[in-house]
Amino acid sequence: MTAFLSAFKFSPLLLILWWCQSGAGQSQPREWKLNGYAQGTTYSIIYFKDKEVVKGAQIDSLLDNIDQSMSLYKGGSLINKFNGAVSGVQMDQHFRKVIKKSLEVYKASGGLFDITVEPLVQAWGFGAHKVDSLPTSSEIRGIMKFVGSDKIYLRGNYLYKRDKRVKIDLNGIAQGYSVDVLADFLESRGIGNYMVELGGEIRVKGHKLPGMQKFALGIQAPGNGFNEDLMQKVIELDSGGLTTSGNYRKFYMSKHSRVSHLINPKTGYSLQNEMISATVWARNAITADGYDNVFMAMGVKKSLAFVKHHSGMEIYLIYQKADGSVADTASAGFYKFVKKN
Amino acid sequence: MFRRKFIKNAAIATGGLLLQNNFLKAADLQYEGKKINIGIIGCGDRGTGLMHVLNELTDLYQIAGICDVLDFRIANAKKLAPNAVVYKDYHKMLDQKNIDAVIIAVPLSMHFALGKDALLAGKHVYLEKTMTYNIPQAIELVKLAASKPHQILQIGHQYRYTPLYFKVKEMCRSGYLGKVTQIDCRWDRNGNWRRPVPDPSLERQINWRMYREYSGGLPAELLSHQIDFINWVFDTHATKIFATGGIDFFKDGRETYDNVQAVLRYEKDGMVGNFGATCANSHDGYLFKIKGSKGTISLLVNEGVYYPEKETLKEYHQTVDGVTGATKITWNKDGGIPILTEPVKDGSWYALSDFHKCIETMQPPTSNVYTGARTAFTVHMINKSLFGNTIENWQPEYNVG
Repeated sequence: MTAFLSAFKFSPLLLILWWCQSGAGQSQPREWKLNGYAQGTTYSIIYFKDKEVVKGAQIDSLLDNIDQSMSLYKGGSLINKFNGAVSGVQMDQHFRKVIKKSLEVYKASGGLFDITVEPLVQAWGFGAHKVDSLPTSSEIRGIMKFVGSDKIYLRGNYLYKRDKRVKIDLNGIAQGYSVDVLADFLESRGIGNYMVELGGEIRVKGHKLPGMQKFALGIQAPGNGFNEDLMQKVIELDSGGLTTSGNYRKFYMSKHSRVSHLINPKTGYSLQNEMISATVWARNAITADGYDNVFMAMGVKKSLAFVKHHSGMEIYLIYQKADGSVADTASAGFYKFVKKN
Repeated sequence: MFRRKFIKNAAIATGGLLLQNNFLKAADLQYEGKKINIGIIGCGDRGTGLMHVLNELTDLYQIAGICDVLDFRIANAKKLAPNAVVYKDYHKMLDQKNIDAVIIAVPLSMHFALGKDALLAGKHVYLEKTMTYNIPQAIELVKLAASKPHQILQIGHQYRYTPLYFKVKEMCRSGYLGKVTQIDCRWDRNGNWRRPVPDPSLERQINWRMYREYSGGLPAELLSHQIDFINWVFDTHATKIFATGGIDFFKDGRETYDNVQAVLRYEKDGMVGNFGATCANSHDGYLFKIKGSKGTISLLVNEGVYYPEKETLKEYHQTVDGVTGATKITWNKDGGIPILTEPVKDGSWYALSDFHKCIETMQPPTSNVYTGARTAFTVHMINKSLFGNTIENWQPEYNVG
């Protein structure tokens, strides 16, 4: 008894553990955090629950499964099979959902989002393989002949191509989808308060416990990219997906112009407009992710007009003004998210 | 017209520190948008290395002449510039009116003489580092360059020209590291640092780095890059230097040390720099760490990682629950953040692109005769300390520019 008491006295941690295990704290949800590496980036998950119902290994295996389906960097992935195939492939569930959504965004955006952009991305040196020189205009014209989502179609679980040279790149949407898969998984385990972030794409639901605060999310502005000083805005959310597309980090200079990794599927050339980044809030992350590139291509005016006529989406845009200075703007609904100090 | 006005205004804005006004007195922007005919003096490893880069910049340069005293080097260089005129005597090349600029990539002991002759011949000059063999030559070259305001003299400290190193400078300046107190640099290799010699009579010409008559040894050939970078980032120079070393492994008749360590004190900045190089261990290879109260930057030639200190990290994590961004910050497994995730080109590509721009706009280079002199002073101080067992102090006459 004396020994027990002395351990008790010097080890508050033991006390807490004992208290938790005894069932006294069972009704009190606490914060659980998971961090890891996947899809060439990191993920971070916060959820509130009385016990640990989701572990890192489960997340890793879910993401690995998605990679097997949609990663261009994984040899033997379904997407690589499709790209190498003459007529098409039998899809798995992940693939089918992402393709369906991609075609939906393709139509709604008038072709500004287009997964068949892969050969262009590759030609401009932003693909999975290195290139030695930049494409000539005639090469781009040649590639454009097999770019366009009208050259692919779905029949049941089969994705067909009308031209064997058609190749797809799901990088502009698969990460948002992955975030939704993780969110759905958390919900299936009875978690109602969480934040899932993967590669800067986010989905949240509910509140932080026990204080019931909304999740505070930073929107990274162009800059060095690793300090809170660089956050343009902090917003608060209790539901939905939040993603950002931008051309301020991935680009290189060719002669005197900037070649961005965002290629306009309608011209074959990299986007050249005033946009620096587009942050999108939508009901889920796949929608936000699909549309962030669309707004990058549309530019400020058209994007704001588009959102006015499409419910369930809010946007925050950073752009360059004619005088070279950087400015930002947002849809009316987005301002409501901005954290009030 | 607009451009001239812009340059003039820029010059006023940046002040008279770098001879800007002299440059502009009769600024003749004759090279605007034009290819520059360039001559290569010295076609060894470095000279031909730069020729490879020039061949990537064919809209900026045309290699009009190549010069070397060794035939096999000329033959080698000819492959890279089949149309260039060959010179055995650099004076002849300098006499040519069609040569606008020269690259000087010769043994260190010849830098001053060739640099001087090229400036006197009216050429723009890209002079390899280290700028000069010794302190008096550096002082003289500064004076000469100041009297030639319409000619560009750029010193080949190319690393500071890469986007990565620019970014690191920006980070140091904007407080990411807090107060920097320590700098650790190494440039190690496991090898004798010799080049193959086709004929024994050419030993001293080819392996000039081994001989004190021609070379400043490891401090001049390797450590000068990092020394120059620290000078540039912190706008400073070492005020007190102690160095030691020896011929500790390759006892092969060489005179320059194969193992050196220099401790540099930067008094006004409150910093200590440790610069070392050995030819008998390659584990660390190129190591460059800048250590401050808020974080460390660890640099390789083409990669850099920022490691926040624990307290800095706490501040970062407490701000928000998540961050959305176009390309999000990715933490390394060892707790660092890559500074640039994009691949960068070789530093010489940026340095030579900028050399053209400087000639075009008549603006002084970032790596100029003053910064080159500061580094040359430091290297010579290290060598004086190494061979004389002295502690070397910065002298007032070294305050140039």
